[in-house]
Amino acid sequence: MFARQTQTAVRAAARPSTILATPPQARNMATLRELELRLKSVRNIEKITKSMKMIASTKLAKAQRAMQAGKQYGAANAEVFETVKEEAASGRKLFVVVSSDKGLCGGIHSSVTKATRRALANDKESPLADSANATVESDSPIMVVGDKSKAQLSRALGGNLVMTFNQIGRDVPTFADAAGVADLITKSGAEYDSVVLIYNKFVSALSYEPSAMVVKGEKSLKDSDAFKKYEMEDDFTKDLAEFSLANAVFSALVEGHACEISARRNAMDNASKNASDMIGSLTMQYNRGRQAAITNELVDIITGASAL
Amino acid sequence: MSSTQWRNVFTFNKYSQITAQAVRSSLKETQRLAAEKRGFTALRYQKWENGKGGEQVILVPEAESGSKKMAAV
Repeated sequence: MFARQTQTAVRAAARPSTILATPPQARNMATLRELELRLKSVRNIEKITKSMKMIASTKLAKAQRAMQAGKQYGAANAEVFETVKEEAASGRKLFVVVSSDKGLCGGIHSSVTKATRRALANDKESPLADSANATVESDSPIMVVGDKSKAQLSRALGGNLVMTFNQIGRDVPTFADAAGVADLITKSGAEYDSVVLIYNKFVSALSYEPSAMVVKGEKSLKDSDAFKKYEMEDDFTKDLAEFSLANAVFSALVEGHACEISARRNAMDNASKNASDMIGSLTMQYNRGRQAAITNELVDIITGASAL
Repeated sequence: MSSTQWRNVFTFNKYSQITAQAVRSSLKETQRLAAEKRGFTALRYQKWENGKGGEQVILVPEAESGSKKMAAV
């Protein structure tokens, strides 16, 4: 404000010298205005990312509790198939990629997408690499939960896509979601011997890693010697295969959801930190620019005054 | 429907969801409201052919009628 008042005073007092003085002053003012606008927008962004971080932090506690509960389903599943583990899933695999519809959560979606691509390319770093399930056919069917991964995979492996699901992950996934997904998988008519769920495993509140869960299909269950020891009727074997798929999907969905919330919290935390750093440096620049403009005007006044 | 025939019509998961819905709607008011949350699903699916997506189908249409305000994330 002092700068603007002195400017009008200078213009009134010493017209000839302002013709030379205004361009650099105008340049400084334009830069100052730009800086002001940038500063305002970065401040707004910082407010937004901070509030998103708060929301994600509060959701994280609930998501983690749901994950602990949901993992029990997956663990119970694994118990039944303990005996069948040695005959690892050979044959045709159906991939189910678990992600979600919303963004701003760091590398969640691309991590799962990359893991799926590595698995289909039989890369040595594929999530299936350490089990005996090595070879994956390149035309294996893929089903995707979540719009973000769907977009990424439709570009990379569009020909393999069979079905996609969305509207999961707004809130903690329910067993109804998982049962619906499992139901659609079994009714879809895709041919497979086992289902591989690619999801993000929750390592800690700060990190996650993509991982694979294998669920055997009905036929391979019936054919495996170890399972025959249970001497189950065919009907119940079919029921068990379907239900175990729903359990596995549920466990993967809740764990993926918890990873997503924690990743969003971390991403927004980083964004807020970066934004406040930017605000600091922009404020410095702005103040320097403002003081330089004032100094220039003072010099003008003084030289103008000394010329009179 | 006799116990042996439902398998011809739907899968075990569908069967368990139907029975779960029956149990939920038979609960007392407060417990029912809590249980309904656990049974909520807004799932939609889309069939894909040759890299092209088909139409989006809502799995449980009546569940969509109670429209809720969506948060940004």
